[in-house]
Amino acid sequence: MTKTKAIENCTSCNVRLVEAGFTRFPCPTCGETIARCVKCRKQAIRYICPNCGYEGP
Amino acid sequence: MNGSEDENSDGKMLISNDRYLSAGIHIGTQQKTEQMLRYIYKVRSDGLYLIDIQKTDEKIRDAAKFLARYDPSKILLVSTRQYGQKPIVIFAKSTGAKAIPGRFVPGTLTNPDLSCYQEPDVLIATDPYADQNAVREANIIGIPVVALCDTNNVLSNVDLAIPTNNKGKGSLAFVYCLLARSLLAEKGIETFDYAISDFEAGGELM
Repeated sequence: MTKTKAIENCTSCNVRLVEAGFTRFPCPTCGETIARCVKCRKQAIRYICPNCGYEGP
Repeated sequence: MNGSEDENSDGKMLISNDRYLSAGIHIGTQQKTEQMLRYIYKVRSDGLYLIDIQKTDEKIRDAAKFLARYDPSKILLVSTRQYGQKPIVIFAKSTGAKAIPGRFVPGTLTNPDLSCYQEPDVLIATDPYADQNAVREANIIGIPVVALCDTNNVLSNVDLAIPTNNKGKGSLAFVYCLLARSLLAEKGIETFDYAISDFEAGGELM
């Protein structure tokens, strides 16, 4: 698996990643780690890469 | 498909606009969701929503870059949809990924006691609604989900959406072919010996 930096908080809502079901993945454009908590994933809340400004999903 | 001959003249898009249009990638549905609004170009007089091809092209390139960061054997493709089954098998064959065409056995990602248990690092779903079991299990184990989304799809539990027509035979073959080609190109492999017709459903699964 690609090494992703272990960031502790959700990129969208900044909540601490403690509940099972969160994910971390590299930004498609710059490779910076993006983390999404369960709620943000479920509600399809937009994330923005802190490094390059890439928007998803 | 030869990479250079299909390259658009300005070099910005993976393939020319006309090729996208002829494959029917832009054809959406008569329903739209809030989350897919930003990928919709316009609504036709008969109520059909059309997808913005520029954004589709952009997202295919982003998805290829994203998938190139993973080990190909750790990429899992699923398709319950009939027309997506052959494309995912050929995609898996050309890139070294794994594919589950047809029924997704519940527990494939979560139950280690099953013989078909797998531990992928990323999931590619052909339709997040039809493949909702796989998407839900990917959500439970915390792996990112890439999905081909039509105008009527909800982006719940999807981490990277590729806006496209995910119902047509031609469009699914086209998208998977482009994605496979771009993925290999990102890895530095320029030769791609498959044509779009190889991806198209209709013949026997290989």
